[in-house]
Amino acid sequence: MVKEQTFAFFLGCIMPNRYPAIEKATKFVMEKLGYDLLEMERATCCPAPGVFRSFNKMDWMVAGARNLCIAEQLDADILTVCNGCFGTLQEINKHLKENEEHRELVNEKLKLLGDYEFKGTINVRHVAEVLGYEIGPWGIEDHIVRKINLKAAIHYGCHFLKPTRIREIESSEGPTIIEDFVEVLGVESVRFKDQLTCCGAGGGVKAYSGDASMTIFGEKMKNIDEVKPDIILDICPFCHLQYETGQDYLNKNKGCNYDYPVIHLSQLVAYAMGMDQEFVGLQYQMMGRDFIFGGEVIKREEEAI
Amino acid sequence: MSETKEEAHREYKIDEDFDKEFFKNIERKSNIWQCIQCGTCTASCESGRWTALKTRIIIRKVCLGDLSVLKDPDIWLCTTCYNCYERCPRDVRPTDVIMELRNYATKLGNISPNHRAVVGYLKNFGHAVPINDEVRQRRVELGLEELPPTAFKFKQEGDDKDLKKFEEYMFDLPPVKEEKKKEEK
Repeated sequence: MVKEQTFAFFLGCIMPNRYPAIEKATKFVMEKLGYDLLEMERATCCPAPGVFRSFNKMDWMVAGARNLCIAEQLDADILTVCNGCFGTLQEINKHLKENEEHRELVNEKLKLLGDYEFKGTINVRHVAEVLGYEIGPWGIEDHIVRKINLKAAIHYGCHFLKPTRIREIESSEGPTIIEDFVEVLGVESVRFKDQLTCCGAGGGVKAYSGDASMTIFGEKMKNIDEVKPDIILDICPFCHLQYETGQDYLNKNKGCNYDYPVIHLSQLVAYAMGMDQEFVGLQYQMMGRDFIFGGEVIKREEEAI
Repeated sequence: MSETKEEAHREYKIDEDFDKEFFKNIERKSNIWQCIQCGTCTASCESGRWTALKTRIIIRKVCLGDLSVLKDPDIWLCTTCYNCYERCPRDVRPTDVIMELRNYATKLGNISPNHRAVVGYLKNFGHAVPINDEVRQRRVELGLEELPPTAFKFKQEGDDKDLKKFEEYMFDLPPVKEEKKKEEK
């Protein structure tokens, strides 16, 4: 049995190395909700499912299994904050639990990397799913001290829900897990055209062809701009990076004039639970630099659980 | 489309580096022979709406054993959004097929310089996106450790055994093609 109320906190690459405020906010939220987060020492990139799986699927599984082994040694389920990390680790974990042949091959190669053996004792979780289902809109209400009152364009990204036969979270064609959860925080979800499409960054496309990636993203932004949300809300640092740097690119190269703040779900929840704006990290935003969370204080922090 | 499967397989001999088992492997791993060329994949493709990627044609070429797909730059335009995988009425899993094609293309050296660079980052830093000075500063301002406790931090502290092993054993790429040609000449 793995430890209860405890997660091995898998950082990945983009969150700790580009958006540390998301890391800070996630720690704040999870610890306030009563979870222990354990450091995964010597972890590496998950490795990213778009690039590294494309080059060598077996090595991708071995490097991913190495990260899984670090959490197995901590005896805790993994918590990810990124769709890419979640996609890689959840998929490899599930596959190696089910496929004995590959498990043996992977374990053989793991020996080259150190004292690792995949045993299949843990699960891999995504913060959006822990908040959305385990805590739930019914459970977060007692913890929030601020109602945020704004309109958000919600971006699910691809690998949180798809492939549905592997993730087994909910339908990828009409998900509501994030909408239902943030409604309690006072956030209204505004629907927009082709809401569930990709941000254009994944699959190694952003590295392979910046033009193609920005064309896909440009259409996404056009659709978001039609409904004029206050913020763009995501659950993945790679989508986050695409929305932040992509708006800047479109403004400079395609004559656009976008300035939407991009907020990760962890940051939004942290603010609602009483974290100061400076730790939520809005001062580091590339876009929407003037944006601050408004909203009303509904109870004092001491009164919240 | 008059070629039989066997005739198409004969074409493999054109490229002597090519492993004939490859297409058989794809057949084993996906349900590619169930494809009825309905085009649901192409219609669902978020990249193909804006780029040259035509998933249905890629699947057809694989069925015919057409080796040109391995040099086709379009296979690298898939964002792995899994729409085709979710919606295929014949359960073909085109995203997995494209992944297999990319794996083989990489083996043949058909890999872009940018992607080579990402592999270099992983081997050097343990991250596909390494940290920079600005973010180190921000981490300190936020009250986090200046470096996250990943393999790179241990390397900075003089313990580089993890990343040395990545360098040695993981994601070996074939040499850049241009250099190979020059040597041959």
